[in-house]
Amino acid sequence: MKNNTISPQPTTHNQTHNPEPITHPLSLYLHIPFCKKKCNYCDFVSFAGKENLIDDYVNTLCDEITFQLTTYNLPFTTVYFGGGTPTLLKPEHFKQILSAISSHYLPCRQAGALPITRLEISIEANPGTVNEKYLAELRKFGINRISIGAQSFNNQHLKYLGRIHNEQDIFNAVKDAKAAGFKNINLDLMFCLPNQTMEEWKDDLSKALSLNPTHLSTYNLQFEKNTPLYKDKDKDKDKNEDREDLDADMFEYTIKTLKENGFDHYEISNFAKPGFECQHNIIYWKNGDYLGVGCGAHSHLNGERWENTSSLNDYILKKKVSSKQIADTRKETIFMGLRLLDGIGQNKFAGFEKEVDDLIGQGLLEKSGNNIKLTGKGLMLANIVFERFI
Amino acid sequence: MSLDKIRNFSIIAHIDHGKSTLADRLLEVTGTVEKRNMRNQVLDTMDLERERGITIKAQAIRMEYEGYTLNLIDTPGHVDFSYEVSRSLAACEGTLLLVDASQGIEAQTLANAYLAIQNNLVIIPVVNKIDLPNSDPEKIIEELKNVFGIKREEVILASAKEGTGAKEILDAIINRIPPPQGREDAPLQALIFDSQYDSYRGVVAFLKVVNGQIKTGTKIKMLGTDNEYDALEIGTLKLGLNPRGILNTGEVGYLVTGIKNVREFHVGDTVTNVLNPAKEALPGYNPIKPMVFCGFYPTNAGDFPHLKDALEKLQLNDAALTFETESSAALGFGFRCGFLGLLHLEIIQERLEREYNLELVATAPSVIYKIIKTNHEEILVDNPASFPEAQTIEHIEEPYLKLTVLTPSEYVGKVMELANDKRGIFISLEYLDVTRVMLTYEIPLSEVIAEFHDLLKSVSRGYASMDYELIGYKESDLVKLDILLNQEPVDALSVIIHREKAHYKGKLLAEKLKEVLPRHQFEVPIQAAIGSKVVARETKPAIRKDVLQKCYGGDITRKKKLLEKQKAGKKRMKMIGNVEVPQDAFMAVLRLGK
Repeated sequence: MKNNTISPQPTTHNQTHNPEPITHPLSLYLHIPFCKKKCNYCDFVSFAGKENLIDDYVNTLCDEITFQLTTYNLPFTTVYFGGGTPTLLKPEHFKQILSAISSHYLPCRQAGALPITRLEISIEANPGTVNEKYLAELRKFGINRISIGAQSFNNQHLKYLGRIHNEQDIFNAVKDAKAAGFKNINLDLMFCLPNQTMEEWKDDLSKALSLNPTHLSTYNLQFEKNTPLYKDKDKDKDKNEDREDLDADMFEYTIKTLKENGFDHYEISNFAKPGFECQHNIIYWKNGDYLGVGCGAHSHLNGERWENTSSLNDYILKKKVSSKQIADTRKETIFMGLRLLDGIGQNKFAGFEKEVDDLIGQGLLEKSGNNIKLTGKGLMLANIVFERFI
Repeated sequence: MSLDKIRNFSIIAHIDHGKSTLADRLLEVTGTVEKRNMRNQVLDTMDLERERGITIKAQAIRMEYEGYTLNLIDTPGHVDFSYEVSRSLAACEGTLLLVDASQGIEAQTLANAYLAIQNNLVIIPVVNKIDLPNSDPEKIIEELKNVFGIKREEVILASAKEGTGAKEILDAIINRIPPPQGREDAPLQALIFDSQYDSYRGVVAFLKVVNGQIKTGTKIKMLGTDNEYDALEIGTLKLGLNPRGILNTGEVGYLVTGIKNVREFHVGDTVTNVLNPAKEALPGYNPIKPMVFCGFYPTNAGDFPHLKDALEKLQLNDAALTFETESSAALGFGFRCGFLGLLHLEIIQERLEREYNLELVATAPSVIYKIIKTNHEEILVDNPASFPEAQTIEHIEEPYLKLTVLTPSEYVGKVMELANDKRGIFISLEYLDVTRVMLTYEIPLSEVIAEFHDLLKSVSRGYASMDYELIGYKESDLVKLDILLNQEPVDALSVIIHREKAHYKGKLLAEKLKEVLPRHQFEVPIQAAIGSKVVARETKPAIRKDVLQKCYGGDITRKKKLLEKQKAGKKRMKMIGNVEVPQDAFMAVLRLGK
């Protein structure tokens, strides 16, 4: 086992050495917690105004990558740069990180032993931080999928959300991404914003479609504690019956429209042109294994879950990570797996036969071949279904 | 201590007129409590009492002054507790009638003063709070003359806060209140006027020795029940139990027999000596009858035994509290509790929640209805859920009160409007003096227990006061209003209401229920009905969407917790048919009912 790290070992894991080499598909997630400004709804691990720490952060990140990949003998099939705003990093940073990754990359035999250049390597991008030249460099280093945080095409709504970009920036970012050679492009969109009308949402969708993305993710706005928008939570759906109905209307409209436009509704909130599903996220929903590196990153490996510290300084200084928890695999497989609209194998529901029968009886689940999946009605009431398996 | 050196007295007054402060002052002046041990208002021992500024439990204290023994028997001061007041007055020969110099005679002053007169007590009028800038003692002296025929020279002016008049009061007690009448050589007759539960001693009975004497070791008998006991401990009351071994004629003190059940000692019963028993009992009391009822249900079904235990403990010291098990399809198992009045109810509820840490759902307060059925059978019902079928009812009668309201004349119009609105029947209007009016109404008890007192205070800017007494039953056009969820009746929400108000109340309840009910997978019709006639209807629409929109690798633990929480929340639902009703939905609707 390679163990030629030159920096102090991060005291991240009390791990038995020489674990079983993992041969099934596994994902590698990298968290880049830097932002120009925090959006008003954001409760992720991200920090504004700390760009001076990026260099140190990237160094530590590379050390962690090296340590983890050599400790675990990890072959993986997808890579995902999430944040924060990954696109705040300079191209050299990506070069550094992707080098660290490739020099320890073990092709996964079961996944077909793809060379690293053929893996899905995604990056989240903020429309206000990219241009064609920058994106072309990222493309050169092997990043081949881009997820653009559009959120809305309505400048007033963007302002309400606290985004640093405007509508035009979105158009430019997509244009630049295509020009830079990206073929696999996702747009993130938000609906059911306070004061957002159905017409405005329809308009957002149609603008998004006009840009011909290969993937769309649509979310309704959640009001989280300790965010500036939390004060508006009384305007939220669960306090207002008409907002509740609008939320449902918008969601139904979205599903219908995107289907009509050639998108495959493959997960509750995710739509893709055939062949362009996000492989990385599918591993989450299939309750597969993934390794998260970086500040605040989560991992799921060998039936355990853990997360790195969410303190930027502690991470950079390689201080302690949070302790591991045993994963509740059976339940998690079900409630994550049912999010995929093709469902999951019947055998995964062992022990829950009564619940399954009940839910089928209520018209919320149905059998499909060897799978059990959400019905159209079940999709709308997914939480009610998931609760039965918790 | 010879009989003629004993004085037994109480202090009666309206709430906040300064009774407890005066009692404190007398204790201080007589040296019974040293100044440094004085906590404000020593006699109010329960926190709840102190908070609400009222005395709940009657207590007795013995003071020594200039060779005399003065027994102060404290009395509760609120409409709900007239029973307790009359019990303690029977142990006295005189009473201080306390009136606030700026407020004047209030409804309770009147009520309790009449009680004292009925008991042939000597009344010493005291006008208190003369230290306050807006006090008007002259006006009060005038009122006392008009209402009670009290002469000017009988009135003592005082300020309990500053101690003014304390000595005059003590002298008046000695000079004007007669010593107890009784014969030392007659067979023992002692009147039990109260009891209390002590965790070491068991039941402690408070008694006044009318004739004869009682010693530790005496074999005693209760004339009302014929039960015999040993007098294990005899003593006086002086800020606590002081064992003395003997109580002589005319003295007030306590008795311990070792029994644990407070219901074995009936207040009003006579204690006598087994070896030389008295032939007759002293004039006793009518057993107290609860007037107001409600159901107490534990929020968590598992707390039922805990609630039972708590009620039993409270009842040890509160013979007026009654309870029996009952069940509701909506709320599960609970208790039907009887109280002297709304304040009594609120105090018990608060004690259950606070001292016993119970989370409760309380159903709307109800009175006892008399139902005359078509087959001429007469039944008493205190729970709307147990009303018989409408077609078997000939007519319904409800308890009525004689309500006395004292108010400054500028609020008379509003007060009368309020009383009329609550189905009151006007009886009389008298002027106490130029500025104050006494109104008398006959009014249904059910209208008064709802929120009458608060409304009265609010229409009169707090200046009006009220008192009431039960006068009997009258026929009323009453109906039972039922609430149905998805066609299923919710028994716990049924109310008995006057037909004219049924539509309005039904609409209110239906709207509130719609607001607090969660959406279901089907539409839920909410109806208010009288028998089979629907008087109000709302519909709760079906749920359209309940989806966790985002869930990725880092979210799993958190979102799982969220789902667990949602699921646990649903466990606290009560099922009415197939409608899930959250506990706080009941609370919200029932609060509206109060």
